[in-house]
Amino acid sequence: MTTSNATADKNAQQPGVALTINGLAVNATEGMTLVEAAWHGGVPRVTGVGCLEGVCGSCRVMLRRGKEVTVGLACQTFVEDGIDVIFLPPASAPQHHYELGDFKDSWDIHARFHKIFPEAARCRHCHGCDNSCPKGITAENGVALAVAGRFREAGEAFFECIMCELCDIACPELIAPAHVGLFSRRITAHFHLRPPNLIHRLEELRQEHQETSRNEDSEE
Amino acid sequence: MSKGIPLAEALARYRPDAEIGPLPELTGIDALLNTHHPDHLRGSLVKLAVGANAGDSCQRELAGLLQAEAFIDEADLAGTPVTDVDVLVIGGGGAGCAAALEAAENGARVLLATKLRLGDSNTVMAEGGIQAAIEPDDSIQRHIQDTLRGGHHAGDPALVATLAGDGPEVLRWLISQGMQFEQTPSGDLHTRRAGGMSTARLVHCRDYTGLEMMRVLREAVIQHRSIEVWEQSPTVELLSNELGQKCVGAVLTSLLDGQLRIVRTRSVILATGGLGRLHLNGFPTSNHLGATGDGLVLAYRIGARLRELDSFQYHPTGLLHPTHLAGKLVTEGVRAAGALLLNGLGNRFIDELQPRDVVSSAILRECSEGRGIRIDDQRAGVWLDTPRLERAQPGLLERQFPNLMSRTSVAGVDPRLEPLLVHPTLHYQNGGVVIDASGATTVPGLYAVGEVAGGIHGRNRIMGNALLEIISFGRRAGAAATASRDRGPKKVTLEHVNRLRRALTLAGLPMTQRAPQVLPTYAARGAWNR
Repeated sequence: MTTSNATADKNAQQPGVALTINGLAVNATEGMTLVEAAWHGGVPRVTGVGCLEGVCGSCRVMLRRGKEVTVGLACQTFVEDGIDVIFLPPASAPQHHYELGDFKDSWDIHARFHKIFPEAARCRHCHGCDNSCPKGITAENGVALAVAGRFREAGEAFFECIMCELCDIACPELIAPAHVGLFSRRITAHFHLRPPNLIHRLEELRQEHQETSRNEDSEE
Repeated sequence: MSKGIPLAEALARYRPDAEIGPLPELTGIDALLNTHHPDHLRGSLVKLAVGANAGDSCQRELAGLLQAEAFIDEADLAGTPVTDVDVLVIGGGGAGCAAALEAAENGARVLLATKLRLGDSNTVMAEGGIQAAIEPDDSIQRHIQDTLRGGHHAGDPALVATLAGDGPEVLRWLISQGMQFEQTPSGDLHTRRAGGMSTARLVHCRDYTGLEMMRVLREAVIQHRSIEVWEQSPTVELLSNELGQKCVGAVLTSLLDGQLRIVRTRSVILATGGLGRLHLNGFPTSNHLGATGDGLVLAYRIGARLRELDSFQYHPTGLLHPTHLAGKLVTEGVRAAGALLLNGLGNRFIDELQPRDVVSSAILRECSEGRGIRIDDQRAGVWLDTPRLERAQPGLLERQFPNLMSRTSVAGVDPRLEPLLVHPTLHYQNGGVVIDASGATTVPGLYAVGEVAGGIHGRNRIMGNALLEIISFGRRAGAAATASRDRGPKKVTLEHVNRLRRALTLAGLPMTQRAPQVLPTYAARGAWNR
């Protein structure tokens, strides 16, 4: 069996890897992530690091390999010779505003969606969001589903979204695909998730509570 | 640790279809814990000399921080800009967001300050799920019993009853915020049984439960009109009234510009999480980078009582390999789904669904007695037999554990083909700040919720109670902090810091170390200078 477990015991002597992080030359060793390399090389002011396992979306980096420029997550990217890495600043506050509590009726959700996210219908299919997603989400298709009012499917397309908001930066129409995805997911749960086993237990507890307070009242 | 079976030998011996002998009978749980659990390592405990817990047992590295010097003096406060709010929430994980949302819903102007990015927390990494007694054969009472038993009856029964009683309502609230859960074909919430549970009670969203919860709460907080969020803003000190006896605000700094800021408020809610990044006893950790125990330090310095400072949870299945994921978790859900633990000889050695402290101690026993799988001179572990699980239930790993599959595939590991090498990892702070059912600490004006608070999990937390606790108590504290009719502070001081300095001097303790730690030393360069 040729497995990666078999490589576990030869981590000690790895060849050196030379790269730059935030403009500083760093000598790392093979198998390090970009976050580990930044710490190892003493790169100052790297504060956008969180979970170290690719779910918090904080450690966004821009990567240059020769003439090719891409984006990604520093904790999920391994060091390469000659790569230039820039840690990106935190995302700015979102430009689309809504509170679920304001929605009283699910029949007008489609209309509300287009009011909240007016740019979504103007997608020019440039694939910027798809290309920038470190999780491989088909964000563009997800946005199209939301535009068509198919919020459950749209939300499902964004299931692995970690809210790094790289797609928001990539979108020339300022659609904010990550937030479109989250809106779709939240609407679906808020209006359509009504699980019988939970509802039954809540009703039992309500009746128990009523019973208890009635008994307390009669004792007084 | 040079004992153990070399990796190559163990791999050569491993077969996903091998016959597995019977499970040895589990006897002497107390002896197993006393001999092998890291809480009982010789030299790992000291007695606190000053503060509300003077005389109590405390983990050594934590005691150093609790009895350390503060960063600021009165002189630092002169000319510092002041912000006034009704409620200050410190911490941007699930507990902080729940508290902020409830306080805002109750009419408070809320400031949520977080050290890193909003949502950057242990919540986002929680995979397994959230407990709530909703199945017909289950009851609130059984949830209470399982929680108390799992915590070795050290938990506060009143807090546990509050937690369990809130379970179903917490799920309803999360759904109303827009959180999705796994459903059965008939539309019920899907439940699993995990370690320490007497029946199926774990509700989940595949193995991304924490991520789904966090992104929904994060969005709800960002969108809320009455909540302001300050990111990259660690709290370096709380503020007290002239007598040093009531919490009336906090002093924050900024990782971006280094500027101190004073926040004056009627109530402060600490939701700072745990301390895995202190790497107690030299263990790796599953925790996110900000988990440095800041809340415990701040609370202790202003006089709050803490509890179970000698009890930490080491999760049984931290990854040993690949190296960049060392200490990161394989969710207990994988064991709940049927994956076995095998030692280097290919034998089972513990019932995989025993409480976490028991399973961890058993793994440490296998390793120290030479039945572990050794990858170098320092590190050994045991197998988590994922290929056998895949053979028994083809497709299950991909369907139910996409997070695990995606994380391991980055490093070229396929858990369907090869077993995972695991070793216990520092995961959770069982104790914390003493609270009542509204999250109030022993210091007026100060609340604590989530991992920073103690009393619910006793000496061992069972799976799924952390995600429940952060919402249940987060909301309770948010409401209680808003209900306080206090008119707010007249004067903000560092009187409590002076009091602690006097006590440290009298006790003859050195004041060379400063706290809170804010970031682990290996990540602090240029971001956070003392």
